[in-house]
Amino acid sequence: MAFPAKYPQMNATELTDEARSVLIRVIRVAFPHPSFPDAPYERTADTILREAENSTWFRVALTQGLLTLGHLAGGDFRDLNDEDGTKVLRRIETTEFFGFIRRTTVLNLYDNEDVWEILGYEGPSFDKGGYINRGFNDLDWLPEARTETYDGPEQLIEIATNASVAKIRGGENTPAIERDTSNQPGKRDATMMEMTK
Amino acid sequence: MSNIEHDEAAIVIIGSGAGGGTLAYELTAKGLPVVVLEAGPYLRNEDYVNDEWEAFNQMAWLDPRTTSGSWRIARDFPNLPAWIVKAVGGTTTHWSGATPRFKAHEFAARSTYGRIDGANLLDWPITLVELAPYYDKAEVAMGSTHVHGRKPLPANNNYTVFANGAERLGYKFYSTGPYATNAEEYDGRPASIQDGFNFQGDKNKSKWSTLVREIPRAEATGLLDLRPESHAVQITHDASGRADAVLYLDKDGNLQRQAARLVAVAANSIETPRLLLQSASPMFPDGLANSSGQVGRNYMRHTTGSLYARFKDPVRMHRGETMAGVIADESRHDPDRGFAGGYFLETISLGPAFLASFSDPGAWGRGFTEILEAYANTAGLWIVGEDLPQESNRVTLNTTLSDKNGLPVPNVHFDDHTNDIAMREHGYAQAELLYEAVGSVGAQRTPPYPSTHNMGTSRMSARSEDGVVDKWGRAHDVPNLFISDGSVFTTSAAANPTLTIVALAIRQAEYIADQLKTGGI
Repeated sequence: MAFPAKYPQMNATELTDEARSVLIRVIRVAFPHPSFPDAPYERTADTILREAENSTWFRVALTQGLLTLGHLAGGDFRDLNDEDGTKVLRRIETTEFFGFIRRTTVLNLYDNEDVWEILGYEGPSFDKGGYINRGFNDLDWLPEARTETYDGPEQLIEIATNASVAKIRGGENTPAIERDTSNQPGKRDATMMEMTK
Repeated sequence: MSNIEHDEAAIVIIGSGAGGGTLAYELTAKGLPVVVLEAGPYLRNEDYVNDEWEAFNQMAWLDPRTTSGSWRIARDFPNLPAWIVKAVGGTTTHWSGATPRFKAHEFAARSTYGRIDGANLLDWPITLVELAPYYDKAEVAMGSTHVHGRKPLPANNNYTVFANGAERLGYKFYSTGPYATNAEEYDGRPASIQDGFNFQGDKNKSKWSTLVREIPRAEATGLLDLRPESHAVQITHDASGRADAVLYLDKDGNLQRQAARLVAVAANSIETPRLLLQSASPMFPDGLANSSGQVGRNYMRHTTGSLYARFKDPVRMHRGETMAGVIADESRHDPDRGFAGGYFLETISLGPAFLASFSDPGAWGRGFTEILEAYANTAGLWIVGEDLPQESNRVTLNTTLSDKNGLPVPNVHFDDHTNDIAMREHGYAQAELLYEAVGSVGAQRTPPYPSTHNMGTSRMSARSEDGVVDKWGRAHDVPNLFISDGSVFTTSAAANPTLTIVALAIRQAEYIADQLKTGGI
């Protein structure tokens, strides 16, 4: 969705290379994966920057956020360690600035082969014949499990014997018309009224 | 394929999913020509993609909707109350395939559970005995495993964890089905190749959907006039109060009128009441077929939740059928657990993209990334149980917001009943015990996804004061108007709804054909 700025000169609001590098650090602190290289974080930052181009609101929120994050960080956000960086982000997690980064990251960081492989996900499989011959049942740390319906001596008790249900249960031989089809308070309430009189 | 003239009073079915697609096939098989208006495009199995977000954007109903109420969806996904499909075949192209039946007492929830504060419980006007023959027909049509001689699906890795946990927890009633996905070739469709992209349409055609069975068979009769990208706007009526036409927008946005002698609405439980409300007129000021005031009310979505458990060793839950495991032990009614009704546990798997978006919406930081880091060693299950109808859980027209056609968007209001919350908590706790029994080292309680099970907004009732349609799905107020989807559910039961929608549609088709023959409509 596009929200064009009313004043064209405002569209010139530029996100500098430095802002981009702060953004990459924000994403890595908020979504820490020690096993991920820089590329997925850079890709995600660039997606955020691209989406911000299409929305004035996000663009101004993002620009202002990245420019002023240092005020909370007491210096350059990039100089903070993971723990201190997380503390700063916790303080701003309800802001539009952080919400935009979080939502866009969740949608994009994990939607790419470059992280799937690291996480152990194998992506499209139909063209490879599925997993029928490629390990759909290769789990070896538990015994084989029964796949058929249980045919032992026990029966599934559909209504617990201790349930104080009405005698009519809509059971096998009960014609529908005789059952309680009212949505009004039941007899129990009427009885209560009589009791309290 | 047949061409039916716009001014020829036809049988018009709105929607081509479990209800509409089945009804269309059953009626054409009996020699009755039908027009099917489908809002979405005609996607084929070869069009589907093995990619979660790309497939979602290809298949999902993404027209704007709004939400209100205390459910978490209103905060996390305010414009996506439901995760359903806009395409030929409807949500049967996305569904998991689980086909448990309702239990006898679930057709009599009011009588069995008694009065429950805040719940608008009502017994169905039909019994299990009446529906059982149609359950048989539906299971045969859909090729349900474990019944009628169909063999079970094999155990995939996710199931092996699930079933071993179930066994160690003392559960007995677990198995890999019933699922309407072929374990072996059946009905002209191949066995599953376990590709793991069931929710994304299933390119292999092993999973039953109306796209692979009912629609092509209806087309083969030469009596089906299927119109994709045709979005119904209004059902009009004549001076006697009988439906006489359906107005719809064609793919170019032009308003068309199809004359009708009978209209069957099967647009899923948000669009069905929306259409009835959009069809209000001076004769039906509160919406068509709404003299009871129940149109749009009693919206149910099942009590759901997922648990994703982490292990020391690999599981690789993405390999194989997305869902192929069910535990029925908790599906009983046992008020000692602190709630009425029951629930099933079913295996589920998501890829990293969806797991990131849905496992804990709004979360970030180390706790969140641990869920993803453990992906390969994660097993998952889904809780699905009965939720109670409430009059205030409701689909209405939001007249402050229009869709691209200028129509008011539907608003979906939902608050969990305390019974729903108690059931969900019980489900989470049992699921954690189940996975702990096989050595889990951590688990994530995942809140309900946008609803794929949508029910109850035009419910069935014996008396016209209590509901919208009678025991055949025929509107109490409009003799030639039928509802043919999950909207008619009086209560939700614990079971996945598709089998029951199909069984009801097969039964309804017999009734409609009979009534047309005898002049009863």
